Formats: sequence, structure tokens, C-alpha cells
Amino acid sequence: MAEVKVTTRTRRTAGAKKEAKAPSADTARIAVVGIPASGKTTYFRFLAGHFGLNLPILYVPSRDDGGNLPLYGDLDNDVALEETTYETTDPTDPEGGLETTTRFYVNRPMEDRKKLWVELSAGREDQGILTKYPLPTKFNQFVEMKMRFRYGTPEDPTGSRPMELQTVDEAGGIIADYFSYDRLWLEDGEGEVTEKSCRVIPHFDSWRPDRRDLWRRGLTLLGRFVHEADAIILFLSPALASLRDQAQQINLARGVFRYIRARDLPLVIAISKADRLKDFYGQVEQSVRERTFRSQFDTADFLLRRDGAGMGTILVAQEGRGISTKEDVFLISSAVSTGEGHPMMVGEGGQEAPAMGTPTLGVPVMVNTTLPLARACERILAKRSTKGA
Amino acid sequence: MGAPQTAMASATDAASPPTLRDRNVLLLDLSKSMLAPLPDAPSGRGDRQKIEVARTAVFRILQDAAATGTPFGLVTFTETVRVPVPLGEVHRENLPYIENLLALLQPSGRSAIWDAIAVGADLLRAGTQGVRGNLVLVTDGWDNASARFAVRPEPGSPLKNGYNDLVPYVLPAHSELNLRIVGIGSGVERDRGVDGAAMNAFLEQLRARAGELGLAGAFSFQEVTTGSQLFTQMVQAFLDVGYEDDRPLEELHPEELAQHAASAAKALKEPQQHATVARLRAPHPTGTGGAPDPSYLESPDLEIGVLSTTGGAPAYLRERYGPLGEVIECYLAAQYDRALKLLTESREVLPPVTRLYWQARVEFAQRAVVEAARSLLQAWTEAEKLPPASQAPVIRRLALLQARMQNDKETETLIRFIDETEHRLGEVDASARERLMDLLARLMELRGTYQLTRLAGEGDLQDAALRHEAAVEDVFGRLQDARLEFASAGPAVEGALDFIEICLAEMR
Repeated sequence: MAEVKVTTRTRRTAGAKKEAKAPSADTARIAVVGIPASGKTTYFRFLAGHFGLNLPILYVPSRDDGGNLPLYGDLDNDVALEETTYETTDPTDPEGGLETTTRFYVNRPMEDRKKLWVELSAGREDQGILTKYPLPTKFNQFVEMKMRFRYGTPEDPTGSRPMELQTVDEAGGIIADYFSYDRLWLEDGEGEVTEKSCRVIPHFDSWRPDRRDLWRRGLTLLGRFVHEADAIILFLSPALASLRDQAQQINLARGVFRYIRARDLPLVIAISKADRLKDFYGQVEQSVRERTFRSQFDTADFLLRRDGAGMGTILVAQEGRGISTKEDVFLISSAVSTGEGHPMMVGEGGQEAPAMGTPTLGVPVMVNTTLPLARACERILAKRSTKGA
Repeated sequence: MGAPQTAMASATDAASPPTLRDRNVLLLDLSKSMLAPLPDAPSGRGDRQKIEVARTAVFRILQDAAATGTPFGLVTFTETVRVPVPLGEVHRENLPYIENLLALLQPSGRSAIWDAIAVGADLLRAGTQGVRGNLVLVTDGWDNASARFAVRPEPGSPLKNGYNDLVPYVLPAHSELNLRIVGIGSGVERDRGVDGAAMNAFLEQLRARAGELGLAGAFSFQEVTTGSQLFTQMVQAFLDVGYEDDRPLEELHPEELAQHAASAAKALKEPQQHATVARLRAPHPTGTGGAPDPSYLESPDLEIGVLSTTGGAPAYLRERYGPLGEVIECYLAAQYDRALKLLTESREVLPPVTRLYWQARVEFAQRAVVEAARSLLQAWTEAEKLPPASQAPVIRRLALLQARMQNDKETETLIRFIDETEHRLGEVDASARERLMDLLARLMELRGTYQLTRLAGEGDLQDAALRHEAAVEDVFGRLQDARLEFASAGPAVEGALDFIEICLAEMR
């Protein structure tokens, strides 16, 4: 295959004074994986925004500690989020070059919080119109996303630790393929996914050459960073209408279980878009309306007995094999909807703000969003301390 | 023309390339006497012309040759010997042309049998290796027109002047020849049937020469006096036609394919609601294609096929499949009463499982559900008596009809997928076919481990789930290897792998 030209340029969003600092040697990396539209983008954007916006997070079931998780924005590093787009310059030209563009997002409040929700909760087609971000999935690009934060408690003698959350966005298909087909897996951080092994992907040979090349590069990039990852967060969407998407998600999940077992990696599962699950949404709604309500929702029971994620048998089989369904599986919703296409907002008093009428002063409700991240960090540190001991 | 989708049952592996011995030449008598009727008293059916019956044999052998890639040649003879199909591989796409040609061949004139055998031997001649292959002669007559070759009436007796001895010509040193003569009609009276005495004398001399030279080979003569006898020998078939709402996999939108796979998986996951699935056998890896059985005229396997009806009824049904072809023609024309009458008349000719299945199918089309169920039950009993190689595909056709009768869409989808996959894979590499059939069989076996997860008690649930997941992962690993190995094997293989992959995801 002809060598592809690679050009690099950097864009800064307004207010970004500098580029992100290179991660330090003790930075722990967490890979976020999920099929297309499983909620990876929303998770990164809202969670990154959380550090600057201090978005309130609701916990279901309620937490006794009041939700004090030791997660912080990285004040040494102005950049909360870094996105690098890899794009073929001309999709119709098989010899076209590959262009990379990096954008940096800093810890700054947004003027209109509702607008953020509308942009991120819109369908993929609408996102391209509503935002300047290259969100609609295209076959000629993928985006590497990195979010920097710190985890740790002031009581900890070592203080907080730098962490990096990483994914390949706009390319959930790449992620699904990589984990589903273990014949693609890289065994070292410098490895390359070969054209030959890519043929394990259905119909790969029938794709256009530029798409094949981009896909192989994406698989390689992903393979390298998950090889270096200290933990994985798997996103599962319970709201997949298409049977093909459901099959893709199940294959991905089974692949991720194989991967973490083979490499002894901590795994945390986030069932995203949980507000689409009626039982769960009922708890969220009640928690927002009645400030005295303390939810006792049993997540594990809901997932295993009532098959809330559509993979009860699989989760049962994996119990104790790198995950605990009680401690490592979370129902999350980073941008809760009222169910009618409007964001569920809470006002200053913590109660639901009206969705109609004058633009609200409220902020979007996030449910359990930080839990998978905190749990992944906790397990990384536990593993490191065990190793150290 | 809708080419038949056959799934020939054969124990021979189609992967091995045809050897010189696998070459087949058919010698077909086209003398005027072939226009005479062949009595068919035992079945009570009307008489048929000998040529009509003989064409059936040719159609069938041609079809076998096209399916297996075995070299085939056709020699026809009156007083003149012709080679309408030179010895070579018959390509499936050329079948309609050859079949049209055969349909146009009209008997006339006399019979140059010995000259024809010599030409057939020439086609099979392999230089210093002698004559190697299979010759099948279908004739109703006496030699009365040969100009070059003759056979001594008795060993050592003189030949007619100017004629060559056919025996050493056909059987030179190093030969390996099988000659089978099918004589139509009794030859007790001249011009009423084949000259059995001359044929037997010829075969005796061949056997003697083979003994002298130490040659391998088989020589036989078989006389058939009725059309039914010939059909029984030549067309032992279980044939079916697709249903009007059949849609090939390749026509499905990817999401529809996923829906079909999910539906099929449901049939595997819920055995109580889909009892028919339990009757299905795992697909036989070598159940399709396969090399021809050289003894097809003597002890034919049950030919199993699903005829495509896209674009109307298949051509030459009657010619190719005799009474069964006629039944199918009537069924397709919605002449159900006539179809049932024909089935009764062909009782002696048709294999019981075929007759009972078609009776059920016709009755179901007539909405006589109770009668159809009774006939199908009897067909199931007959199917149990079939040899294993034939059993699996026949049982699937029975199960498909039963699923339709019970309005069980999930089972119907699963069976259709297996059937269609087996058929489509008939044209691909034998190793790919075997691997995919093995994958399908393993997919079917997942029913067992999945059921255990449903039945297990609280304490055993994790063990059962673990075992099931391990079984799924094993199949998925094999599926990945198949994807890598057969990446360029074409849409038939890819479609089957896609379907299995989605089914696997559903088994959770």
C-alpha cells in the first residue's frame, strides 16, 4: 500500500492558553470502550465539563458519603480535554493524505449550559448542524480523545494522582471490531494491526482502500493504547433498536471480558443512557422531585434478574472473573432526558427546573457519571498497591 | 431457466480432483425404435416413449456432472455416430443449452451400436494408459448399422469381412474401464428390445480379455422392461420446491438478516416452544456436491434437492424427474387433485418418504390440515429409515413443512437458513463447506448449554452460564479463523458467517 502523507496542525479553542502537558510517568491510563452511539462522547464532554462547570451529580441508589468522590480537575494542566482528529483529506482519492488536527478544551464554564445538553443529546445528523465539532460518524475520520484529571484523597500521604481517560471516538466500530475479534489484538505497544488480520472483520475486503487504511490505523492506535491501559471502562447501551447493533455490542462485551482476563486488567462496566430504562428513570425522577427520597435501587438485581442490560447470562458467567456485578457495574446517565427530548434540569435549590417557558437557570442532571471513573481509579490503585506489597 | 438446486447425497469427497477413472461417457441410442412406447403396466400409468425415459437418464447424469465437475461426454448414435457433448467439464451455466439440445434430438434411422462404443472408447483413450473411465450405453436395439466394428458371436469365431474386432479396441493393455449397458425393453423378440444375447457375448469377451491382461474393470448388462423400472433405478429422488414467500439471504437488508438470525436463535433457545428443532440433525459436512457414485444406475442414493421456482416452474421437470416431476408441475399449477391422483398412481415408483411428503404438502395447500398432518407423520416414520447421509436434508424439508403447518416462524427461519446455506455452499470450495457445516453443527449444539442456564438452580447458575459462555467463545474463535481463512470465498460464505455471528450474539 502506498505511503500515506501525514500532516499535523493544532487548533485551540478560545481561552486555551497552552497545549496539554505530556502525561507524567506515573499517570494511570483508563481506556473507554463501547460501540458507536454507546455514549462515549457525551461521557467525555460532560465529565470534562464537570470539572469546570461543577455539574451536580445525582446518585442512584443514594450514597451515604454524600457523593464525595476524590475526583478533581487537573489544575496543573489547563487542558481538560484533548481531541485529535485523524482524517483522510479526500475520501475519494485513494492516495489522499491523512491529516491530524488537535483541539484543546480548557476548564472554563460555558455560558449556556442548556445549549451544551441540546448539542450533545442531539442525533448524529443534527449534531453536525448544531455544533462546530466533527461529530457525525464519517468513514474518513476518527478522533482520539484524552481527558486529564486527578484521583486521590488529601489524607493520602502521596496526595492525588494524575489520571488519563482515553478513547477513540467517532469510531466505535473500530473499538467493537478490535475487541470482538481477538485475532486483531496487539501484543506490544509498538505493534501494528496488519491488513491480513483485518480480514477477520466482516466484508473488510469490500471496503474502499482509504477506509481500510484508516480503519487499520485506528485499530493500531487503539490496540497500542489499550495495551498500555491500566484499566478499562466498558460502555453498554441498553437502548439499541437495531439487532445488528445489539449483536455488535454483545460481541464487544464478550471480547472485552476475554481481553481483561488475558491481561489481568481491572474492568468497570457503565450501562449508559440508563434514563431510558423505565425502572431506573422512575428512581431518578423521584430523587429529583422529592428531596427527602433516598433510593435503595438494587442495580445488580435489576441487571441480572430483570436483564436490564440485555446480557444477564453473560454477566452471571463473568462474576468473579475480573468483575463483581455488585461493585463494578453501574447504571449511568450523563445527560438525563425528561423523555420528551428536553433535558432534565435542576435549579439552584436542587429541584427540577421547568423545561418550558423562560430559558432555565438550572443545570443538566447527571446520574452516577463519576462512579465508573472513581471505581476504575480505585481498582488501579488497589492493584498497584498489591503489586508494590 | 431455473436450474435445480440439488443437494446430492454422496459419501465421496468432492475435494479430490477427478481422476481418469472418474470420466464418464454416455452412449445414447437415437434410432427410430426409441420412439416406441415402453409399457408401464404395474403403476397403471400411461406408456411413455423410450426416448423420453432415456432422456431422463441423460438429464440426471448431466446434472451430476455439472454439480461435481466430473468430466462428461455424450455420444448419440443412429446409423451415424455423433458427439454432441465432447468429453470435458460441464459448467452449470451451460446446462440449459445442453438440455435444450437434448430435447431437440429426435430418433430416426438404425443403430450402429458397436461403432458408437468404439467412439466412446476413443473419448476415454488416454495414450499408452489405454481406455480409462466409465462408459454407459443406453439402447433398445440390435446393432444393424455399424460400418467399422463388430463383435464375434462367440470367442474365436470369425468376424465379418472388413470389420475390426471391437473387444481389443475397447480394451487395450493398461486399460481400466467400467462398461454398463442398460437395455430398454425385452430383447426376446427382434425389434422389441435390446439384443441381450449379443450384449452378453460382448461382455463375456471383455471379461475374458480383462482376465488375460490382468486389467481392472467391471462390465454389466441390465435389461429394463418398463418405464417404472427405469425411473426407479434412475430417479430415486426426494425433491421439493421453495415456498412462494422464500427470499434468498443475499436479497435481505443487513438489518433483515439480523432479524432472521435473531429469530433462528430463538428457535434454538426455546426448545419447548419449537419442538421440531429437536428432530433436526446437524448438517453433514459432505452432504452437498460430492463426486458421482459410479454405481448410480444399480443402487442409486436418494437424490435430494430443492428446485428453484423463481421465474416460474423449472423446465424439463417431467423429463428430468418423471412421475415426481409431473406431481410438482401439477402442484405449481395449483392442480392439487391431479397431483394427488398422480401420487397414488406412482406409488410403486416413488420412494415412500417422497410420496408421503408430497401428499402432505399438497393436502396442506388444499387446507386439509388434519390429512396433511397425518401424511407428514407417516413421512417422518419413513424418513427415519433412510441412510444417515440422506436423512438430515430430508428431515429438514419435513421439519420446514411442519413448521409452516404450525406457523412456527422461528423454526422455519432456522431451517431455511441451514438449507439455503448448504445449497449455496455446494458451489464453493469443499474445505470451506466442511468448516461452515461444522460451525453450523456447533451452533446447533449450543442449544444444550443454553438450556442448562435456563434450568439451573440458584447455586448452579454461574457454572451453567460459564459453560455456555465457554462454548460460545469456542464457536466464535472458530468463526474468526474461518473468516481469516476464507476471506475471499465470496458472498455465500460471508453471508453464512454473518448469520452465525449474529446467532451467537443472540445466544445469551
